[in-house]
Amino acid sequence: MSRDILVIGGGIAGIQSSLDLAEMGFKVHLIERLPSIGGKMAQLDKTFPTNDCAI
Amino acid sequence: MLDVGRHPNIELLAYSEVEKVDGQAGDFRVTVRRKARYVEEDKCTGCGACKEKCPTIVPDAFNEWLGERKAIYSWFAQGIPSTHTIDPAHCRQLNGKKCGVCKKGCKADAINFDQKERIVELNVAAIIVATGYDVFAPSRIPEYQYGKIANVVTAIEFERLLSASGPTGGHLDRPSDRAIEAEIEELEKKANRSQKVIAKFEEQHGEASGEFYARYEKGEYSGDEERGKWAEKYQEHLAIVEPLKALKKKAGGFTAAKRLAFIQCVGSRDFRFYPFCSGYCCMHSIKEAIIAHEHGSETTSAIFGMDIRAVGKGFEEYKVRGGNNSNIRYVRGRVAEITEGPNNNPVVIYEDTRERKVKDEEFDLVILATACAPNSGVKQLADLLDIEIDNFGFYKTSATQPLDTTRPGIFVCGCAHGPMDIPESVAQASSAAARAVQTVTASEQMRKAS
Ligand SMILES: Cc1cc2nc3c(=O)[nH]c(=O)nc-3n(C[C@H](O)[C@H](O)[C@H](O)COP(=O)(O)OP(=O)(O)OC[C@H]3O[C@@H](n4cnc5c(N)ncnc54)[C@H](O)[C@@H]3O)c2cc1C
Ligand code: SF4
Ligand code: SF4
Repeated sequence: MSRDILVIGGGIAGIQSSLDLAEMGFKVHLIERLPSIGGKMAQLDKTFPTNDCAI
Repeated sequence: MLDVGRHPNIELLAYSEVEKVDGQAGDFRVTVRRKARYVEEDKCTGCGACKEKCPTIVPDAFNEWLGERKAIYSWFAQGIPSTHTIDPAHCRQLNGKKCGVCKKGCKADAINFDQKERIVELNVAAIIVATGYDVFAPSRIPEYQYGKIANVVTAIEFERLLSASGPTGGHLDRPSDRAIEAEIEELEKKANRSQKVIAKFEEQHGEASGEFYARYEKGEYSGDEERGKWAEKYQEHLAIVEPLKALKKKAGGFTAAKRLAFIQCVGSRDFRFYPFCSGYCCMHSIKEAIIAHEHGSETTSAIFGMDIRAVGKGFEEYKVRGGNNSNIRYVRGRVAEITEGPNNNPVVIYEDTRERKVKDEEFDLVILATACAPNSGVKQLADLLDIEIDNFGFYKTSATQPLDTTRPGIFVCGCAHGPMDIPESVAQASSAAARAVQTVTASEQMRKAS
């Protein structure tokens, strides 16, 4: 029996879920199939509507 | 992103995939396969010394194959974890050749060619699926000639061209021009080599090849085997140098792409492919046109779409501002075809539905706003998790429980659920986290009660 939570996919969605859970005190296992997390957002130059840098 | 790497409550398993899932909500047993990086995660400092000397150059997927990386690489410069990875498909050492240059360069002794993949077992109460989406492959629409006309690119490729850390350092160099520049580089290497060969003959005979060759052509040296070889090598040299000269002349006229066309709904709102609206593409085309204009104030953009869907707080204003300040023209009409004109310029053929006319217009670069397609691994993961997918190919949920998959204890968020932008993905991610916590507490209460 465990209170841990598994998150599959380390794009912006998986990162946000993981951080929220971790902050609430839950142990999270985050699985990403690529060598690093970031997903598509890491590939974006800037993001609408603020034109902030993506990373 | 950094916070994920540092948070004591997060175990990050990158370069890993789910292999098997048993059990039920409150008590899932998950088998994870950690692929071999051939680099020890606990030793690698991410310094990058290894890749400096690696002789193997391969196209870089992070840069949408527009740039290059080495066989030992980091996914991108700020990637978390920063652990480097050896690409087993290309590394010389891992393909039976002698190399190991990276291992010599690594002060941390992190490289391990004998590393094996590992299996990790996890016990978790709930699962969140956040596997995202794929960019629609525009080659499925033959009339747009993606992959055939060099200067037709996808929006995600264009993001990499705009990026200061991308393959062009943020210059809007056209793919056709980059291909010619790469050809020039290749030819220059060859020309240097053949120059050395003919220099030897010149030294030997104390004469320039050009002068010798003029006389050779007149038949002065018939029967002279040695000079016959010289003439042959000189011919080969000319066959390299002359096209090189022509290409260099052409490249002298290259400028950054200034006339841009953005084509909306490539694969979206198209009953041959995806009937849905991908939601974010109108906005990212406007964004890319605004940024391109920041790179060069003379840049003009035409955005071709059935309508511009700027839905959300501040989005309509963003669109109007783009039109007023960033030389963006919004053209109402669906593009029928893209052809290639002079100078590798793509020509867009479309119906202007305001003027009710079929028109064509030449651009420097065409950018395709491709649909948000279900991730290619969706079916495989759905089978592993025993959850259903919907008619569009995304994970199935219901209108009243939009984050719950068809199996209790498994939730979905972000583009794995359907097309959505970053703020929406983040909002869903927080909601999915809350749903997962509810599963944990509910199963704990059940346990206490029994
Ligand atoms: C060209 C372009 C520009 C855009 N610009 C903007 C913008 O300016 N602003 C904005 O708000 N939105 C923008 N978007 C939309 C944005 O990309 C998405 O909203 C966002 O990236 C969705 O995040 P995600 O985490 O759901 O998915 P993804 O970013 O796709 O992340 C999914 C992650 O899961 C991993 N994964 C997949 N399958 C598995 C598996 N089986 N096991 C383990 N890991 C797996 C993937 O490798 C990836 O890291 C743009 C999209 C495009 C195409
Ligand atoms: S493998 Fe060694 S050289 Fe390469 S990044 Fe890691 S520590 Fe640096
Ligand atoms: S062994 Fe050679 S080819 Fe393979 S990653 Fe190291 S340096 Fe590159």
